[in-house]
Order: sequence, then C-alpha cells, then structure tokens
Amino acid sequence: MGNNDQYGLNRRKFLESTALAGLGLIGAGAAISACKNEKNARALGLPPILKAAPKGRKLRAGLVGCGNRGTGAAMNFISCGPDLHIVALADVFQDRVDSCRERFAKMKMDIQAENCFTGFDGFKKLMALADVDIVILATPPHFRPEHFKEAVLQNKHVFMEKPVAVDPVGIRSLIASAKKAEAIGLNVVTGTQRRHQQDYIETYQQVANGAIGKLVSARAFWNQNHVWFRTREEGWDDMTYMIRNWNNFCWLCGDHILDTHVHNIDVINWFLGRPPESAIGYGGRARRLTGDQYDFFSIDFDYGDGVFSHSMCRQIDNCANGTGEFIMGTKGYTNCINTIWNMDGSIKWEFKYPKDSNGNDTNKLIIPPYVQEHMHLVHAIRTGEYVNQAEQTALSTLTAIMARTAAYTGKKVTWEEIYKSDMYLGPKEMVFGPVNMQFEVPIPGTAHKA
Amino acid sequence: MKILNSIRTLFTGKRAFIWLILAGLIAGFAFIIAGKKAINYTSTDAYCISCHVHPVADESWKLSSHHDNKPGVIIHCVECHLPPEGHGMLFAKAFHGAKDVYGYYFKDSIKYNFKAKRKLEMAKKFVYTESCTKCHQNLFPKTLTTEGENAHLSFLASKTEVSCLNCHLNVGHYDPNNKHEHNTNFANSTVQNTQVYTEPTTVTTFASFTEKIPGTSVSFDMVAIPAGKFLMGSPKNEALRKPDEGPLHPVKISRFFMAKIEVSWDEYLEFFRATSSQGRKEVEENANVDAISGPTPPWGAPDQGWGKGTRPAITMTWKAANIYCKWLSKVTGKKYRLPTEAEWEYAVRGGTQTPYFFKGDPKKYTSEGFFKKIFGPDTTTINSYVVYKVNSASQTMEPSVVKANPYGLKNMAGNVSEFCSDFYSPKAYYGYKKMVVDPKGPKKGQEHVIRGGSFKSDAKDVRSAARDVTKSRVWLVTDPQMPKSVWWYSDCSDIGFRVVCEVDESIQSDKK
Repeated sequence: MGNNDQYGLNRRKFLESTALAGLGLIGAGAAISACKNEKNARALGLPPILKAAPKGRKLRAGLVGCGNRGTGAAMNFISCGPDLHIVALADVFQDRVDSCRERFAKMKMDIQAENCFTGFDGFKKLMALADVDIVILATPPHFRPEHFKEAVLQNKHVFMEKPVAVDPVGIRSLIASAKKAEAIGLNVVTGTQRRHQQDYIETYQQVANGAIGKLVSARAFWNQNHVWFRTREEGWDDMTYMIRNWNNFCWLCGDHILDTHVHNIDVINWFLGRPPESAIGYGGRARRLTGDQYDFFSIDFDYGDGVFSHSMCRQIDNCANGTGEFIMGTKGYTNCINTIWNMDGSIKWEFKYPKDSNGNDTNKLIIPPYVQEHMHLVHAIRTGEYVNQAEQTALSTLTAIMARTAAYTGKKVTWEEIYKSDMYLGPKEMVFGPVNMQFEVPIPGTAHKA
Repeated sequence: MKILNSIRTLFTGKRAFIWLILAGLIAGFAFIIAGKKAINYTSTDAYCISCHVHPVADESWKLSSHHDNKPGVIIHCVECHLPPEGHGMLFAKAFHGAKDVYGYYFKDSIKYNFKAKRKLEMAKKFVYTESCTKCHQNLFPKTLTTEGENAHLSFLASKTEVSCLNCHLNVGHYDPNNKHEHNTNFANSTVQNTQVYTEPTTVTTFASFTEKIPGTSVSFDMVAIPAGKFLMGSPKNEALRKPDEGPLHPVKISRFFMAKIEVSWDEYLEFFRATSSQGRKEVEENANVDAISGPTPPWGAPDQGWGKGTRPAITMTWKAANIYCKWLSKVTGKKYRLPTEAEWEYAVRGGTQTPYFFKGDPKKYTSEGFFKKIFGPDTTTINSYVVYKVNSASQTMEPSVVKANPYGLKNMAGNVSEFCSDFYSPKAYYGYKKMVVDPKGPKKGQEHVIRGGSFKSDAKDVRSAARDVTKSRVWLVTDPQMPKSVWWYSDCSDIGFRVVCEVDESIQSDKK
C-alpha cells in the first residue's frame, strides 16, 4: 500500500502542474479497497463489554435529581469502578436532597452540605463547582435539555437518563448541545440500557452481519401494570404537586410512551438503522386517576421501503403484559435480546449466558446494564475512547414524541413535521406557586392543547 | 577518442533511455515547483486586486469580520472565492480566471453593478460552501444561540439547498445596512403626518376612486375595470410561450376595482403597525373574531434596503397578503381580496390580445440567446412600460418610472410578481372548453399562481399570459425559525401583490 500511496501522490502533483500548463486534466479517484470482512463490534459502533471501569484519575460526580432513579444511578456510578465519588447533590426539593444524602452517609460517604443545592436553579450552582467532573442528570425529562445545555457550558461529562426531552423544542436543543459536547470532547452516555447489554449487543452484531437477511418488519411492546402516582397533599401548590406527581403529567414526563416504551422504540431504531418516516396511531385513557396522560398507545411506524413497526404500550392491571421487541427478516427472525430463529422456527443462534457459581445455567448477565452503562462512561473518560449517545437517544425520544402526537391528535405525523415543530410543553417560567394552565386529556381529532 | 567514445556510450543504447527519464524527471520537478509557485503567486490578494479593480470590494472586505477581527486573522480573496484543494480548485481557478481575463479586456469595470453582484444568487456563484467549512469546521461552538442551533441543524438536514451564504452573506464584505437579526424597529415611523383620515372613501358609482385608510394618512388609487370577455392564455404561435399558458380559452369577467399600483410599503406598513403580533402562533382564522393577528417582526430588512414609500411591499407570504386584504376590508368596510388569475390577466391585457399590452415581439425583447448576449436586446417601448431585468438594476422601482397600461394600471408586468388567489396547476386551463365566467382556478393545490414577472425577469416572462408559481419551500430555506415564518419569505425578494375590490351590488350600472 505504501508504494501505491506514494505513486498516487506524485501522480497527483504531476497532474496539477500539467493542468496549469494548459494540458487536459483527467481526475482519478483514489481507490480504497473495501473491507468485505464481517463487521466487528468497533465497526458497528458497539460499546466495549467490561467487567469493571478501568483505573485512572479520580472522578467526581454531581447528581441532579435526587429521586429514586437518581439515587440509584449515583449508586450504580460509584459501584462501577475504582476511585469514583459523588460529591454534590441538587434537587428542587430539600427532602429529596436530604434523603439521598442520608443514604450515602449510611455507606460512610459524606457529601458536604455546601455542595447540596435546592430549588429550580440548584443544578446551575452544582454545575458551577470546579471539582465536579461528571454530572448525572436524573430529573423528570422536561428539564433535561436545559440541564444538559448547562453541563456542556460548564465542561462536564454527562450521564443522563432517558427520555431526554418531552417536546421537539427540547429535542433540538439537546441535539445541538450534543454536537457542542462532541466538539469539545465531553463524553455523554444515556440510560438506554439495552444498548449496553451484552446479550442485545451480540444479537445486534449477528443481525447486522446478515443472520436474518434483510429486515422487513418489527414490533415493540411495553405492557405493564399501573405505575405510581401521588395524590395531592394539603399545602402543596400547583407546581409542587405536579413535580411530586411528575410521572402523570405530560409536560414533565412526556407520557409513558416516552418514559418507558422509548427503550423498545430505541431498539427498533437501532436494529433498523434509522428513525421512522411517519407514524399513525391510537391511544386512550381508561383507568388513570391523576394527570393528563393516556393509559395505552398503539402505533404504526412507517420506516420507508415497505418496512413497518407496530409499537404498543399500556399501563393497566390485569391485562396481557410483557415487554420486548421482535424483528422479522427475509431469512429468519429475532427477539433482539438473545435468540435468532430460522424461518422454520428452529433456533439458529442463541446468546450464552454465564453459569452461576454452582455451574447451573442462568438467563442473566453478571453485571447489570444499569452499572455497565456507567462503566462505559468512565471507560471513555479514562481511556480517551470517545462516546456520545445523546443524539441517538434524542432521535429515539423524538420518535416516541411523533408517536404520542399521532395518538393524541389522531393525525398522521411525519418525521420532518415533528423535527421542526415548535411544540413546547409546560409553563414558560419555573416557579413554585399556582400554575395557570389547563391540563386536558387529549382528544384524537383535535389539536393537542398542552 | 576513447574518452569521447565512452562519453558517447553514456548517451546511446539503453543508457540513453535512462538519461531521457532523468531529464523528464528534472523537467517534471521543475514543472511541479514552477506550477506550485504559479498557483501561489496567482492566489495572492495583490495579484487578485491587480485586475479586479473594485475599491468597494476591497474596502468592505477590510471592514468585514474576515479581515477586521479580534484574533487578527486575515482571510484572503481565494480562501473564499475558490474552493479548497480537492474540491475542484484548479478547475474553478481556470474557469474564474478565463472569465476575469475576458472581463478585464472587454468590459468596463466602472460599469459593473457591484450592489447586484453582492446579492445571494450572484454570490453563490463565486463563494464556495466547502471553503467556508474548511475553516469553520465546528458548526456548534458552545456560544451558539438557540436560533443558530436551529439554523445549523436545518443546514445539516438540507445541505443541498442551503449554503452558508444564505444566512452569512455579508461576512466577507461588510454591509452596514444588513443585519442578521429580528428587525423589531421595522415600521417604526418617524415622520409626523399632517392629515389623518377618519373615514374610508364612500363609493356610490362604478368609477375609479381613491381609497383612504381610516386612522392613517395613507390613500391609494383604485381603477374601475369594466366587465367584459377576453381570450385567456397565449396562442400556440406566440413566441417564447410555455405550455401552461394554453389552451387559449374564452373567459367572461364581471366588473371589479383594481389597485392602480402594487400594494406599497406605505400601505403595508399601516397593516403591520395595526396588527403585528409578537407571538408566531396563528390565530384561528375566524371572520367573527374581531382582532386580526398580523405579521411577526420580520427577519432582517424585508425592503432589502431599497427604500419603502411607494415602492411595492415585498417578501410577505401569500397568507400574509390575504390577511392584509382581510384587514383592509375590515377598516374600509369594503370587500378587498387578491385578484383571481383570470381577473389579473383580463386587467393586464386591457383589451389587447398581443403578447404585451404594448407593441413588440418577445423574440426581440428577450435577452436570452447567444447573439443577444453580444449585441444586446431591443429595449424600445418595453423600457418605458416595464421594470425588468434589463433596466431594474436588480431592485424594485417606484411606480412613477413607468407608463400605465390601457386600463391605467401600473407595473402589472414586471417590478414584482403578484399573488393571485388561485392554486397553480400547469393544466389549469385544460378543463375550459366553452366560455367560463369568473373562473377561480383549481379547487385544490399546494402553491399559488403568481403573475407579471418581476425586476429579475427576462422580457419573455413579463408577457401578459406568462404564468408562474409560489415556491414556499425554497422561499423559506434560510428562515432560522422552526417552524418557519408564516408571514415573511426569507429567500424571495421579488414577490408582492395588488388588491382588487368587489363592486357592491347597490351600485347600479356601469358608467360608460
């Protein structure tokens, strides 16, 4: 190859000078030999599977959003490798900061009081701390774009939970911040844990190398029992109530098609290699007691080229429940997580889970994906192997927003429309007190009024 | 002899071949070095300026952010005006060089219209996106604003139709009049007018009148257009016609009033002041709703810095033009609207059935074609009636510079293209066999008819039958808002409109 390169260079220079002399010029493209080998994990952009995050410089993280998932994510972070610390906390509520701080204190990890912040601007104070290297963003998704933007401004690496926004205005802000982060080398990992699971990753590798042929259709589902809600307590103003009960208000949560089903949607986007072109769907509300969201969605995504994906999600007790994905190819099909079948139903390939200490078969990975994703972030920071998942998760979140809008309005919604939409959910200004907004349950056939 | 022989052997047989190659190599190297030097030498600012005698461009470059900036970096002529190596640099250099040599020897640089050359359409021909992105590799610096984020995301999504210049036209050559921002001072009037009309004009007879806009000091002339019949479209033998102008078909038109001139900035700004809205959400278009929600502040300068006054208002969207009519109807108590395409053509013809409402042959007037480029087109007659490519200096003109058509209407042809109410279809006339009465065009469609051509048009496109169509997507390409403005086109500077007024039934008969 070396000789050829040199030859190419001389030839190009020679041609340039001859052209200048008025002679004819025939351009010749450089021939790059295409690699026909099976694509390996790196070529497919897959994360490394690690037993633990590598050793390296001390990393200090600040947690923004000290609820159950936030506290859990912080625990996952410190457990994923050596010399990792939580040094600062921020939450809009004092009691959330206190309870989180207590849990760390019980584990003999003290977080200094001056590094704990409350209120709507607590995150800004936390991110202004010079000795915070990483921020973990785990508030309700409405706040994510603003928090991510500030984190990038303050040069912090980021772990953030999915979904990453609740509306297209937020999505665009998030994508722009993702590009800014990339430009200055800030690593970003998102909580789409299936992308960090070894079984999913290896199944993806099989499919990407043609195990089921050309992909022709898909389905994704997240059907479960009802989820938590809070009834309003005396003394809570509108804002306090909604944030305490955030999982039930669309402007804070994005509805459960974003909150949970985005995992499945993200897997389909990942395997198909693109977001859908449009969505038509149904949804409704039957059992919910608080908030303005739906109980169920059924969406038909059009991925173009004759490929469709059926997406469904429901949160009602005593129904047929289950979560997962399925993709049909021309030569077989897969559940995306661990098995590939031939067209005749025989198993073509299966992921081998590790055996337990007694040598028995299991169906579980040793390292939970919630920890693996933090290993991935720390690995990237300490080895310089750059990672930034923000845009990909933003596109999957936007896919869910497109679906939600299709169900809420009854209209067909295209990718271009939703990408450019000026939909912004929630009050313009964040202050505790009364909120002068109507929270009507969306009615298909009418515009979404949120 | 022996020595001589041994020297000779050095140059004969196989050895001669080696020498030949060696000589070739030396020549080749010399070529490369000289070539490189020649490229470098012909790429210096001094070399460029030695032929390009245009002090305006030099001065504006020195004041621009590509010369006068904090880090003290100077960006040289060829860094923008040639593509980078590997992107057709030598080809572009040869192409522009040949053009420059021709211009240098055969044209007078004083006569160049540099103002026109700075316009986007022209600038795109000699500024290269690859050159911009060669230096500006990070489109998402940390300091980028939300508007910038949206604009750059949209650039990434549609690289083929947007170039950096669409938004950053003046970064290489400073223009004090052009600012890239929301123009919130737009329409703030500084002139104190003496007379403010309190009542609109009352119309009792079918005759031309001057409408007064109540609450303002603005008035405009309306011309009575009598009812009649005409042949709409162009005959197959009309020179330089397009297929969408046929088939020729008879049309009957009811009487109406039509504005003598295109809606002027004076008129349009009154609407803007009265209705402009900060929010960009559309208010439900309900006739019962009292308040009419009008345009948001425009982006940049919609008048393009050419001046306002009686020049036609431009760059408003078709929707904005319609809301203007609605507003005008409300304040005057009459029925103003956009003309139908048939009304428009009936009015421009003013009883003629020739290509133009004045004498002349499109073939002689057009500037297109090889010989025309050398000898120039015939401009007699057309010059006094139409503001078009040849005489416009690439901008709108005041109506006073042209003569009126047989009905007394000005600038029907040229100056700015005018909106009609019809949806556009290339086959719009196909269905009309017998006489049609007041046709309103296709029932459904996306884009609308525009008529008359503009200051940018060739003579063949200002013919009475020539049709054109709005291009919403292209005209909004660089609008940095998401979604794009419903009030202003960011990328079309030659569109305007003219109002018609319906004749109240109480007005008895035509005064003839």
